[in-house]
Amino acid sequence: MTNHKYFFEKGGFKMDISMKHGAEKKSFRIMKPPKKAIIFMQQHIGTCNEPLVKKGERVLTGQKVGDAKGTMTVPVHSSVTGIVEDITKIYHPVSNRMETAVIVKREGKEEMESLPPVDLNDRKKIIELVREAGVVGMGGAAFPTHIKLASEGVNTFIVNAKESDPNLVCDVRLMIEKPEEIVKGIKLMAKALDVKRTIFATRTQEGEIPELERMMKAGGIEVRRVTPSYSVGSEKLLVRELMGKEVPCGKFPPDIGVAVNNVSTAYAVYRAAYLGEPLISRGLSFYTQNTGIDNLWFRTGTTVKELMGGMDEKISRYDRYILGSLMMGWATKDIQTPLLKYTSGLTAFTKKYARPYEKQLKCIRCGYCDSVCPVDIYPSLIMKADRESDVKALKRLHVEDCILCNLCSFVCPSHIRLTEHLFDGKDKLGNAD
Amino acid sequence: MKKHVNEEPPHIHMGSSKNELMLKTFLMMSVIAVASVMVLGLGAFIHILIALGTVLIIHCSIHSFQIWKGMEPTYASPASPMVAGMIVGLSMPIAAPFEITAAVAALTILAFKYGQGKYFKRKYLNPAAASKSVLLLLLSLKTLREGMLLHPHHLDLNLATAEGLQSSMWIFGRETLPFIGTNLSPAQSLFLWQTHGWIGGASSLVVLVVGSIAAYWLKFKWRIIVSTLVSMTILAAGFGVYLGGDPVLRIAFHVFTGSVIFLAFFMATEPQSTPMTNTGQYAFGFSLAVLTFGLQLFNVLGGSIIALVILNIFTDRFDKMVLKKPYGHKGVKG
Repeated sequence: MTNHKYFFEKGGFKMDISMKHGAEKKSFRIMKPPKKAIIFMQQHIGTCNEPLVKKGERVLTGQKVGDAKGTMTVPVHSSVTGIVEDITKIYHPVSNRMETAVIVKREGKEEMESLPPVDLNDRKKIIELVREAGVVGMGGAAFPTHIKLASEGVNTFIVNAKESDPNLVCDVRLMIEKPEEIVKGIKLMAKALDVKRTIFATRTQEGEIPELERMMKAGGIEVRRVTPSYSVGSEKLLVRELMGKEVPCGKFPPDIGVAVNNVSTAYAVYRAAYLGEPLISRGLSFYTQNTGIDNLWFRTGTTVKELMGGMDEKISRYDRYILGSLMMGWATKDIQTPLLKYTSGLTAFTKKYARPYEKQLKCIRCGYCDSVCPVDIYPSLIMKADRESDVKALKRLHVEDCILCNLCSFVCPSHIRLTEHLFDGKDKLGNAD
Repeated sequence: MKKHVNEEPPHIHMGSSKNELMLKTFLMMSVIAVASVMVLGLGAFIHILIALGTVLIIHCSIHSFQIWKGMEPTYASPASPMVAGMIVGLSMPIAAPFEITAAVAALTILAFKYGQGKYFKRKYLNPAAASKSVLLLLLSLKTLREGMLLHPHHLDLNLATAEGLQSSMWIFGRETLPFIGTNLSPAQSLFLWQTHGWIGGASSLVVLVVGSIAAYWLKFKWRIIVSTLVSMTILAAGFGVYLGGDPVLRIAFHVFTGSVIFLAFFMATEPQSTPMTNTGQYAFGFSLAVLTFGLQLFNVLGGSIIALVILNIFTDRFDKMVLKKPYGHKGVKG
């Protein structure tokens, strides 16, 4: 972890992670519940929820405010006690579309609506509980966790505690503060998956979090140190690193008997099962040039403005905010943007902080992007094929295998945002099929 | 960016830029230039100065014109033209007249750097190699009109026999290592201290060391370098055994002449005109070695340059050769 200042990616490219160096020592600051919580109906991959409440209705903290029929969906819950002020469409910071949100104005004394207790020895009941708690993959993917837990034929469960993004450290902090709870969450998930082997994949060094390691050992969980590189944090690449096998194209880890979940997700499962609390709060790594990295614990639906205010940061100083990872998260200027279940970071940049991809030069065919690509595709050739709308070439170059890690853009000396072309290429291929 | 137009990731960059890459390449080649001037003296310095000066004068004129006309400058910084100028300077034979160096430099920057970029959207041919090929073609036409197939300097050479190679090496066998005073054999001279041939190849040892550092630091297309030099060594060793004679001398000649060693590190790896794929790069290096070796055997003047330009044309073909199997495709056919 933690004594690394750089990651080395494939091809020998260096990624500076000094930004988060030592930040794991900072305890979580518990942020006040927001005055107004903006709860998006879409906070997961899958079918969008429908509001279950009406304007003017009083809701409790933890009350389900949105749900949908079908498997590929998880409900959303109010993170405050108050009155539904509005149900409207607002701009979603990730989907880039107008999406339905329930806006709850905090009012009165906080009252909690807990999840009903379930038999934690019953696999099906655990899976049901995880769904009802609205738990999604908290590493950023937002894949409904209960779907992963319900996978059949899984024999190995990997807990991803890699946290390889250069600005995120909240998972490691969680591991320091809540080791027992994490282990309990992992054990529950392992039970739901019905696996015998559980691997805890971390970039922390041996002896760095002794309590967690001791508990892992006592719980029969294998602790594995993984290569200190950004890309290995990706689910499929982590499987290769730990299991020595690849997930075939078009398939998912459970297809080869592996399930991967984030360490924060395990903690969310613990909170649901032992505290009866749905996913309405989480940890986040906050960064401004003023504060450096801080670890915050916030309620979902808190706006950027309120979080910045809570940190005594002047909004006028800042130009844009990056939600999540600096490598994969989107930037917004809108201070009313709410933080979601899978927002693991908030970075505020001033106008002075240069946009590295603002002035893109011509491709010089240096091949850096091809060397660094962790899934062995050719971003430069794909860019050419995309520009020429050459679907045949896009297919031959396997654009569909891109994991959108953005490493190709990160290393490009011409500062080309290659991912744009990879994304477009995927679209073109999808439309042609 | 409007309030609701979100900005795509990533938001950070490794930090290096194209200009930095060019400046660092120039810096590395400057070390070779210093070594070459130490070996070859003032003449080499003047060649390099002429090449750099010509390129910079033309670049600055075009740049100023573009600014004056309100156009976007093709090269915002002089770094890339400086690299081209340095390559011209180092790839000229020490015996070449100074005006030829100036002509090659002018052609490089005008026709093959600015011109190619503008009219073909990309540099398909290595600029310095292409301009040298044009002048070689003109020179060959002149010798042909005079009834000679080969340039007079190369008429007496017969490198396709052991005796021919041995007798041609007298030009490298008269060097004495300064300060130490050791007399060098032709093979040693080719490796350490040669006063014949390309300026940039005056010391193969320096090119090897500096080139390797540059390739690692600046992440050159190292597969081309490795496959060129390895293939050349194997070819030379194989022919050495087959034809008889001193195999070490044959390897030294085919691998360490400036036109091979300098070209392999600093010209054959020019990013725009060379393949992107791993297999393509290996195949490119191998083909370069085979073609250069063949042309060298037949005493063709500028064999490596001609080979490089020919292969540059087929770069896109090389890119269509075997692609790496992406993640998740191992064991999947097609």
